[in-house]
Amino acid sequence: MKNMDIDSFLRDNKPQVKEDPAFLLEVQQKMRAVEGIKTEVDRQRRHGRIAVITALTAGLICGIIVTLLAYLYPIDPESVSEGVISSIRTFIGTWKHFLLVPVIGCAIALWFAIDSPKSASSRF
Amino acid sequence: MSPENFIDHVRAEQESLRRFLLALCCGNAQEADDIAQDALVRAYVSSGSFLGLSKFSTWLFRIAYNCYIDHCRKQRPETIPADSPQALNVPATEETDASFRHQRLYQALDQLPEKEKAVIALHYFEDRSIKDIASILQIPVGTVKYHLSVGRNHLKSLLQ
Repeated sequence: MKNMDIDSFLRDNKPQVKEDPAFLLEVQQKMRAVEGIKTEVDRQRRHGRIAVITALTAGLICGIIVTLLAYLYPIDPESVSEGVISSIRTFIGTWKHFLLVPVIGCAIALWFAIDSPKSASSRF
Repeated sequence: MSPENFIDHVRAEQESLRRFLLALCCGNAQEADDIAQDALVRAYVSSGSFLGLSKFSTWLFRIAYNCYIDHCRKQRPETIPADSPQALNVPATEETDASFRHQRLYQALDQLPEKEKAVIALHYFEDRSIKDIASILQIPVGTVKYHLSVGRNHLKSLLQ
């Protein structure tokens, strides 16, 4: 191979690939497996999304109701009796001006949860 | 891209892709086909992100090259000394000049750095333009020319 023309040597000796019909079949099989995974991920995402939206909606509704009650029926500090319920009412009554913060937080989180991509395929 | 559309594209490119990986794997057809399969699955998974800004084959070759690099990092292949009996064992099915030349070529390619090997394979075996190679390997055109020139000289000295 002395004084060889490397260019023509390389062009004349391209690696030879053996014909393999199973190659494409295997690719198609793996593609089907990928589709299966995508469907499963989509299903799990959908379930998780529904759970998050349900929890945030419940939190938002409860928050609005508690805030409204706190403003509509203010607590008279003189009439407060002993007990857990009374303590909670007193606590809410004292901090009612700040109740809107978690309610707004809940609303924003809900908006993000509803607005997030519905399908896992956007990530693939 | 629908699965049928993807398979049509792959059907057109598979031989070229497998040959490129066969050269990178220095004649190890099993390893080359495994990497090709891996690359095609990765390409299918991210086919939604293929915007058509480059040719499908360029995009596919880029993924294949990245798969090959990942494969090399994960599992450093056993390097067989060029003069070992195993390395000189020419496939015995056809003791032709062609198979002997291929064996010599694979041994020489095995001693090149990855980038030089890839540039040589794309330029000489796949007839890719310098610009295409730069796009596949994600390096500047000047660097491709440099690797091509150095790789050619390396191969020449290894083959002589």
